[in-house]
Amino acid sequence: MNAPQQGNGAEPAWVKAAASQSRLAFGLAVTELGRRDERVVAVGADTLDLIGLRGFIEHTPARVIDVGIAEQNAMGVAAGLATTGLRPFVCGYAPFITARSMEQIRNEVAYADQRVVIGAAASGVSLAVSGGTHHALEDLALMRSLPNMTVLVPADAHEAWHATQATDEVDGPAYIRLGGRVPEPPVTPVDAPFNLGRATCLAEGSDVAVIACGALVAPAVAAAEELARQGVGARVLNMSTIKPLDEDAILAAAEETRGVVTAEEHHLTGGLGGAVAELLAVRRPTPMRLVGMPDEFAVVGPTDRIRARYGMSARHIVDACLDLLG
Amino acid sequence: MSNREALLRALREQALQIRRNTWRALRAAGSGHMGGSLSAADLLAALYFHYLNLRPDEPDWPERDRFVLSKGHANTALGAVLAQAGFVDDGFIDTFYAYESRFGMHPDIKVPGVEMCTGALGHGLSVGLGMALGSRLQGKNWRTVVMLGDGELQEGSNWEAAMAAAHLAPLRLTAMLDYNKVQQSGHVAEMLGLEPLADKWRAFGWSVRECDGHDMAEIVDALDALPAVPDKPTLLIAHTVKGKGASFAEDTYLWHNNLVADEVYEKAMTELGEPA
Repeated sequence: MNAPQQGNGAEPAWVKAAASQSRLAFGLAVTELGRRDERVVAVGADTLDLIGLRGFIEHTPARVIDVGIAEQNAMGVAAGLATTGLRPFVCGYAPFITARSMEQIRNEVAYADQRVVIGAAASGVSLAVSGGTHHALEDLALMRSLPNMTVLVPADAHEAWHATQATDEVDGPAYIRLGGRVPEPPVTPVDAPFNLGRATCLAEGSDVAVIACGALVAPAVAAAEELARQGVGARVLNMSTIKPLDEDAILAAAEETRGVVTAEEHHLTGGLGGAVAELLAVRRPTPMRLVGMPDEFAVVGPTDRIRARYGMSARHIVDACLDLLG
Repeated sequence: MSNREALLRALREQALQIRRNTWRALRAAGSGHMGGSLSAADLLAALYFHYLNLRPDEPDWPERDRFVLSKGHANTALGAVLAQAGFVDDGFIDTFYAYESRFGMHPDIKVPGVEMCTGALGHGLSVGLGMALGSRLQGKNWRTVVMLGDGELQEGSNWEAAMAAAHLAPLRLTAMLDYNKVQQSGHVAEMLGLEPLADKWRAFGWSVRECDGHDMAEIVDALDALPAVPDKPTLLIAHTVKGKGASFAEDTYLWHNNLVADEVYEKAMTELGEPA
């Protein structure tokens, strides 16, 4: 696996400001969009610093609306803004901005098909020390189940920046899953435009395919390197769009390898693994293993230890691949 | 007859027609929410034929005033007033609950003149707040009115929106409460009382006005006096009677949502001065 390629020009200012954190890259991208397009509005729920929107506030304070700790209201307000032709980005904590305002998202955003982009920081167990109340391990299942919704899971800060820019082309609602305060190792290039709805191949291989998203992409790449040392060729797909799903890439991976392993920082029900399994069960039944959070609530601890304890690490991906290949 | 008398007379006629068309839709469907539709009829007539600045032949006109029916179960009356105002054909009324109709139990944003899918209670005020913010951010003058039900004020999200609206003012935002005192399973005061309601909203930073929601002169005067206090959102508490205009359905939860057989329809229409 090659290190991410840098562009020829000087490193864009946002790269340093994002500090390898996708949540900050999202906020910087929203700020950039806001400079170009006066229809862009940021809506927060006491979350503007969480998302890194100080630059937007300094540039255009009127277009940054924080309604306080009230996610339901934030989502309704965003939908109302969208009906008037504005382009709201709602910024919140993943566990609250999804589950707390789920009915507003379903009705006013998805059902009413409004162009609202939801940036959800601190997803998965990125705030693992906060405990189960603050883990977001069901958000992909919730968002993926809504018609009209686009669901994006950037693998790092670079991809978060480009994915946020790419929502400019989305006509309806979109959900962007973001990390917390733990730095996310870069696995995608600084300058690669986001190809919405398309997986990117980070490693070639024809023995097994690892389809990963978000925080599990870097471990998937590391797992492929370990498998290569053991003589196993693993294809790694970064599935940064969960919906609409890149069916072609998944079907090709199933056809051209001996099985598929999915890897995500999400419950094993309803997330990326579920989406891939739903597709393959119908279109091309394929041996699969699912790497992710089992059906339980996590204990408190540092994020890396929680990931390791519940089976969301490079070692677990390697084990799943070897188990699959028998 | 003075202009004012002519206006009030025309609005009363529209309100009567909303009630008749409400029963017409209910009969077509065989059932529905009559209580909260009939209580809102006079308010809707005053809004659509006097207060709101709308273009029925150009429903997406960007400068239009916005109206959100947060108590979306009164969609029967909304469908009636949209037809009477010319947003949809008169025949729309007869499609209530019909297969593939856009006229279901709750408002559908795809219907010309409908601004949001509502009826999941407690959602409309937040949406209206977003619309009012959208008006201000774009330097526009159009106004937003949200009609609330009393039962739905039991939903906490209303109070999030109320607090935020006062904090984010000035906004051209009015909430109109159809205070008919009855919800699905009984009287509001017995289910989960709202009083002292005006004091609560004042404490949340709103100006509050009250009127008889069936007295057209009072409704028009209250609307014409908006905003009640500059720079504050206004709550207009309209005291109404659930099921107004059908004696058998008034002030009882039994006619919140009920079946409508032909004899019920005929009785209701007779009371509205139009023998079926």
